[in-house]
Amino acid sequence: MSFDAPHIDYAGLSPVIALTAAVCVVLMSAVFRPLRRTAPALTLLALASAAGLLIWQWNDPRDLVAGALRIDDLAIAISLVVLLMAAAAVSLSIREPAAEQVGSGEYHALLLGSVLGMVLLAQAQNLVSFFVAIETLSIPLYILCAGNRRREKSLEAGLKYLIVGSLGSATLLYGMAFIYGGSGSTDFAGIASGIGREGLLGDPLVLIGIALVAVGLAFKTSIAPFHQWTPDVYEGAPTPITAFMAVATKAAAFAVFARFFDLALLPQADEWQPALAVLAAASIVIGNIGALGQDSLKRLLGYSGVAQAGYILGGLVVASEAGVNALVFYLAGYAFMNLAAFAVVVARERETIFGDDIRAVRGLGQERPLLAWPLTISMLALAGLPATVGFIGKLYLIEALVAGEYTWLAVFIAVGTMISLAYYLRVVAAMWMRPGAEAAPSAPAIAGASPEADPVDPEAGRRLYLLAPALLATAATVFFGILPQPLVEFAERAGASLF
Amino acid sequence: MSVSFWAWLVLLFPLLGSIAIGLGFRVLPARAAGAIGTAAIALSFACGIAALVSLLGDEPEARHHASSLWNYASAAGLDIKLGIFVDPLSIFMVLVVTGVSTLIHLYSFGYMESDRGYRRFFSYLNFFVFSMLLLVLAGNFVLLTVGWAFVGFASYALISFWYRRATATRAGMKAFVINVVGDIGLVLAAFLIFRELGSFDYEAVFAKAPEVFAVNQWTIVAICLLLLLGAFAKSAQLPLHTWLPDAMEGPTPVSALIHAATMVTAGVYLIARTHVLFDLAPTAADIAAFTGLATLLVAGTIALVVTDLKRAIAYSTMSQIGYMVVGVSIGAFSAGMFHLMTHAFFKALLFMAAGSIIAAMANRQDIDAMSGFGKAMRFTSAMFLVGALALAAFPGTSGFFSKDEILAYAEARGGMYLIFTVLGYVGALLTAVYTFRLVFRILPGTPCNPAQELIETGQVVHAEPENPATGEAEDTEVGFPGPEHHIAERSWPMKVAMGVLGVLALVGGLVQVPGVDHVIASFLDPVFEDSPLLEVHPTVGAEWTGLGIGGAISILGIALAYFLYVAQPATPAILIQRLRPLHTLFARKWYFDELIDLLVVRPALAIGRFANRTFERVVVDGLVSGTAETVRGAGGIVRLVQSGFVRSYALLLIAGFAGLALYFLLASS
Amino acid sequence: MTNSLLWTPLVFGLIGLALPKRLTGWWATLGTAVTLGIAIALLAGFDSGAAGLQDTVEAEWIPGLGVEYSLGVDGLNVFLLVLTALLWLGGTAFAAFREQERPHLFFLMMLLAETATLGAFLAQDLLLFVLFFDLMLVPFYFLFGAWGSDRPDGVTASAATLKMIVYTLVGSLLMLVAAIATAIVAADGGQITFSIADLAQNPLGEGSQRWIFWFFAAAFLVKMPAFLLHGWMPDAYRAAPLPVLAVFSGVLAKVGAYGFLRVVLPLFPDATVEFQEVVLVIALASILYGSVMAFTQTNVRLVAGYSSVAQLGFMTAGIFALRADGADGAVLQMVNHGLVVAPLFIIVAVLAERSGSEDLREMGGMAMRAPVLAALFLIVALATLAMPGSANFIGEFYILNGLFQAKIAFAFVAIAGVAMSAYYALRLYQRTMHNRVPAGVGSRELGWRDGVVLVPLVACIVGLALYPQLVLKRTDASVQQSVAAATGKPAPEAELAEEAPAMSGWTGYGPLADRQVDELAAGESGKSP
Repeated sequence: MSFDAPHIDYAGLSPVIALTAAVCVVLMSAVFRPLRRTAPALTLLALASAAGLLIWQWNDPRDLVAGALRIDDLAIAISLVVLLMAAAAVSLSIREPAAEQVGSGEYHALLLGSVLGMVLLAQAQNLVSFFVAIETLSIPLYILCAGNRRREKSLEAGLKYLIVGSLGSATLLYGMAFIYGGSGSTDFAGIASGIGREGLLGDPLVLIGIALVAVGLAFKTSIAPFHQWTPDVYEGAPTPITAFMAVATKAAAFAVFARFFDLALLPQADEWQPALAVLAAASIVIGNIGALGQDSLKRLLGYSGVAQAGYILGGLVVASEAGVNALVFYLAGYAFMNLAAFAVVVARERETIFGDDIRAVRGLGQERPLLAWPLTISMLALAGLPATVGFIGKLYLIEALVAGEYTWLAVFIAVGTMISLAYYLRVVAAMWMRPGAEAAPSAPAIAGASPEADPVDPEAGRRLYLLAPALLATAATVFFGILPQPLVEFAERAGASLF
Repeated sequence: MSVSFWAWLVLLFPLLGSIAIGLGFRVLPARAAGAIGTAAIALSFACGIAALVSLLGDEPEARHHASSLWNYASAAGLDIKLGIFVDPLSIFMVLVVTGVSTLIHLYSFGYMESDRGYRRFFSYLNFFVFSMLLLVLAGNFVLLTVGWAFVGFASYALISFWYRRATATRAGMKAFVINVVGDIGLVLAAFLIFRELGSFDYEAVFAKAPEVFAVNQWTIVAICLLLLLGAFAKSAQLPLHTWLPDAMEGPTPVSALIHAATMVTAGVYLIARTHVLFDLAPTAADIAAFTGLATLLVAGTIALVVTDLKRAIAYSTMSQIGYMVVGVSIGAFSAGMFHLMTHAFFKALLFMAAGSIIAAMANRQDIDAMSGFGKAMRFTSAMFLVGALALAAFPGTSGFFSKDEILAYAEARGGMYLIFTVLGYVGALLTAVYTFRLVFRILPGTPCNPAQELIETGQVVHAEPENPATGEAEDTEVGFPGPEHHIAERSWPMKVAMGVLGVLALVGGLVQVPGVDHVIASFLDPVFEDSPLLEVHPTVGAEWTGLGIGGAISILGIALAYFLYVAQPATPAILIQRLRPLHTLFARKWYFDELIDLLVVRPALAIGRFANRTFERVVVDGLVSGTAETVRGAGGIVRLVQSGFVRSYALLLIAGFAGLALYFLLASS
Repeated sequence: MTNSLLWTPLVFGLIGLALPKRLTGWWATLGTAVTLGIAIALLAGFDSGAAGLQDTVEAEWIPGLGVEYSLGVDGLNVFLLVLTALLWLGGTAFAAFREQERPHLFFLMMLLAETATLGAFLAQDLLLFVLFFDLMLVPFYFLFGAWGSDRPDGVTASAATLKMIVYTLVGSLLMLVAAIATAIVAADGGQITFSIADLAQNPLGEGSQRWIFWFFAAAFLVKMPAFLLHGWMPDAYRAAPLPVLAVFSGVLAKVGAYGFLRVVLPLFPDATVEFQEVVLVIALASILYGSVMAFTQTNVRLVAGYSSVAQLGFMTAGIFALRADGADGAVLQMVNHGLVVAPLFIIVAVLAERSGSEDLREMGGMAMRAPVLAALFLIVALATLAMPGSANFIGEFYILNGLFQAKIAFAFVAIAGVAMSAYYALRLYQRTMHNRVPAGVGSRELGWRDGVVLVPLVACIVGLALYPQLVLKRTDASVQQSVAAATGKPAPEAELAEEAPAMSGWTGYGPLADRQVDELAAGESGKSP
């Protein structure tokens, strides 16, 4: 008798397989006492191998698992960004109290789990895999956010993220149901053709579905007005985790966002384009305004993240190849800028009693130039000043928007950037300029870490595992600001895979 | 050597002198600076003579030469070269300017001896002469403006020469700003000329103007009026004259040089130079003439009552320039220039003598405090008397011939222009009276203390230095006339300078005696040959009658002054009592200062204050802070919504979804 | 050549980081000196006849976005480059003579700023221009904020600087959008290019020109700053360290005016013509308002600051006269004003050291023991008020002539500014150098250190005053081209602009407008030997 097994493309699945295996291995390492300390190393190894395998698949797009996943350059590009952030997070997590408390092995296993989810999400082109992936990435994060059990802010963050997050997932699921109901297919391509069919265009069910999915994804990418969890969670979560999710979650979510809307829902573009444009504008405004006058650097970066998400969404709105290119480019750049900033925040958190309060970086210019420069440049880059990747990214986005006849949104980006200068430069001023009007450092901060919880490590600012990520990210920020062409081509490959 | 070569040299020497003294102010001994300064001007005068000689070599109608050094600013159709234009008119001015300046430099050589700013003074003085020569030699309207502004600046620098005196600096500022107003007039005129004729060069403009403009066409009138704005500002004609009396804050030689002999006559020169345009715009010419007339009368009346010696002479200058303006405006070009020359002689002389007296008074200038200098300072008094006679147009003196020639011309032109003759004679009467008012107040009578001391000890008093205007003690570190004062009797350079001028003031008029000779007319007329007004000629007889009347009036005026101030010294007081309002009007200088203050200065400052206090704060900053506030306020709202309660987050999430869904449904249907 | 000019300062700055503290200042000065040398070499090799670009550099940069790295020199920017190099040398040297805290960072920023500024002038790719335009702000943000002085009334340097940055970026970010829009609309689906020259070939439709014009105008007018948009100026000027302010006010303000000539006129001709009056009104408002404010200020810096508002107003007016002569004057005036305002601020620094105050009411009588300082200051002051005989006068003369021929009414209003300038400039001089000496003011002669900086700058003023043709001759061709692009026709009297052989013996005017006059001149030159 004969039995023909379904053909399995192991090469295509190899990254996912590698990560899955890694999760188990790292978890095991926690069990065997002698291997305790090896968790970070193992994780890095896993991430590296996954990255290698992904690059191996570069420029060879194909469907996997009966079309549930698709490994193409978009997926790979996004996954690489995710892996980069994960690696950085591992390095930042060294000596991180949260990691100690959760237990190094568990901590890293969870991290890897979430990475796995993200890599899957970047490849998902089927409602089922889409939802599974998104849960895979979310659930570990819920736990990690609550990682620092000695600080109730951290616990609160975890809980909040869990509750609101599940609400988000629920809406997403609803939306999928509606769309499936409407189009009768779970497969993105199928949905596209399903919606494309006469009569379904502008069908209320499908539209409500689209709205629900949009809300769900907007929630994950912290687009206003579904952003509110962002500042709280960013502030509460252990900083390395914040750094990780700030970029990685966004990246993965935006990948599927792009896939779903620019592929599955393309026929409906005329309906959803203006809606998303409004959302983008809203989060640009709200994010930037909210960030004003924030003293907690992590909250500030949270709000700035909301605004940046707004910019990035712009790339999606125009539903064009250029748009997706810009989106990918900006995400990559965003990874560098944010990484530099968070690395410094982590360092200062451990060095000073001020936690992540802005006072923690006052006078950094003289005290620790090596820390001051990364933060400075990342702030300038986030503000989109020239000679940084931030400027090119904005340029890219605006070009896509204008070409896609969304010039007004481009103007919004410009205006938002103007507002953003007020808080980004405030940080820079704190580092380089005389205190002036702002009161001189006095009582220890309540915001952020609290001294009794986290021991102060006065040498943190000199630790290589903190400096290296900061400096490398800074270098990348400037390098791609001056010679962006490589990154541009990288992004173009990714965008090409959708259209 | 061509004419233009000499002309360039004329310009060169004063400039070199000024630079040399300016750069060498540390190394040069004081007297050397003075010597260099004087020599530079003397050389320049010599070159002027040379230029004259070689100019006379040409055919009368070919006596104009243009020459340029380099392209100063030529682009986009504007063609501006560093060029000069030499013709009898400019040479005449050159000779008057350099000649008188040489003597005044000589005078200053002695007069300023004890002043700490001795070198600075000569550097400025040379620079002034250079500017004045540039003004008269300029070959296009742009360069004219440059010279025009340079003299303005030089006069500013010299007026506020004693820069620790608040009064001096204020006067300097006043002079400068009013002169800038004049410059603007010139510039605008240049623009209009360029617009109509496409060039700034004298030759091109004067050649083209008659073809382009119809007589009294509004553009040409406008051009001339704008030129007049410049001319009046420089020549202290109404209503832009208020800076001149204040300008007496400067050292006396400055008053002699700039505010009597040279700069203030620039306006007269300008009108003569652009006579082609004025011939095309009779209206403008008449306006000029009547302004001159008004000025000469107003100034005369003020001069009757002023008690400050130098200011009195300054007002008489205004009034004399009024005569010249009348002359060149109504067409008596050579007569006007002739009066310009003689006036340069006798007015410079008067100022020098006044300076000598003021020095003897230890810088006091109030004529009420002066008397009896006739005995104390014989030479100075003699010179003062000579100057006064010439100014009062006493028969035979230089002023006698030049002034009357203008009035005779007006008479010959007839019609409306008779007014000028008549009122001109009235002005002449005033002149004689106020001039000899000064003479009789200062020279005769019982010597005042300084004079007495001079007679007894032969020493000049050196009182505590104080500002004659305000009476506040001088800042003796620097910037005051110096501890010593020098009078002609004790300083040969002053004596020589005054002596020469004295002679010229007496006999200078003989170059142009009706029916006998007409040196100046025949020399200048080629310049004006194309002017229709040149046809008008008073007959010799008419001129002599005019001279007769003029002489009679002058003598009458002197007699009147004698009666008022010597025979019946009480009468002036009584008159003042009787004519109180009139006297106050004159004493307050017809309220011109107050008027300008009211119309220009106060409004400007008020606007400035408003802009500063209100507009800047409210609007400009409001623009910024307003936006900032709104943004910050919005930030507050965002933070407010960020309550931290999960339920509210969920609520917003639902709300957001609702909104989105609603939009979709609306959009689809 | 162009490349080395652009990058030399930055390279020096980066190397300087490695040097010991006391050397950095001199190293930086050397760097600026070298840059000046290159700039002068560039000027020497400049072909004054040609209107087009020279010494161009073309290189791929971001082909993906259609952005090119293209630099070039022409009549519009050649003198601004020299000016930039010159003023930076002065400012850097002045700073090097004094003790600076954190010298490494200071001079790095100084030189970075020079590179950025030179880049803005050199860029021939619209986006490159925008990039450098924004980049200029970064170093000045640090220089003003970190080395600036806080005011007693609580306005800190960093606050003032933030105000300036946000304010000026308002404009330049909109400009970024506008620039991209220009390229995309022009490309119309085809290959996107930002090359200014190419964009000038096919202008946009009127509709898009309108708003794009204003986005650019906003950027430039804020930078100048123009009336109503100058809100950042008073605070920033009072906060800034003086040597930095000297270069800032001397050069950066001009970038705005330059931008109009380089970008707006050629690229948006229709909008330019359409909004000519509007911009002229803004310019006049700047002239009058700036002058009025200038003579009511008591803070020396602000007198200079508001006077530049007025001066920039003149330049804008000259450009928007849309005549070659007006624009020529504007370019000349950019150079002049830079040459004047930089020494002015250096003098302010010197005076402040002597009187311990920057308030006119607490100064006076300083001329006595400092004749040299007084003389230099006097020259600068006279140039500031565009004294006839100074190059500034020629600049204003050309501007106003252009305005007069184009829009006579505007000219009459604008010229009021000339009279006011005479007052405030002289007032500035008098209140500091003349009158009695108030207590606490030490009248000291200029030290040789400051002399070394000041004298050459003043020498340049005098030199240019004697021969403004130096600038006009080289700028004219390009300016005519740029203006013609807007008006669509060559400047009316372009054909009159002939070069007569200067110093042709002792004789005559060269060819004049009018034939008959020609003969007249010829006849004359025939006579005199």
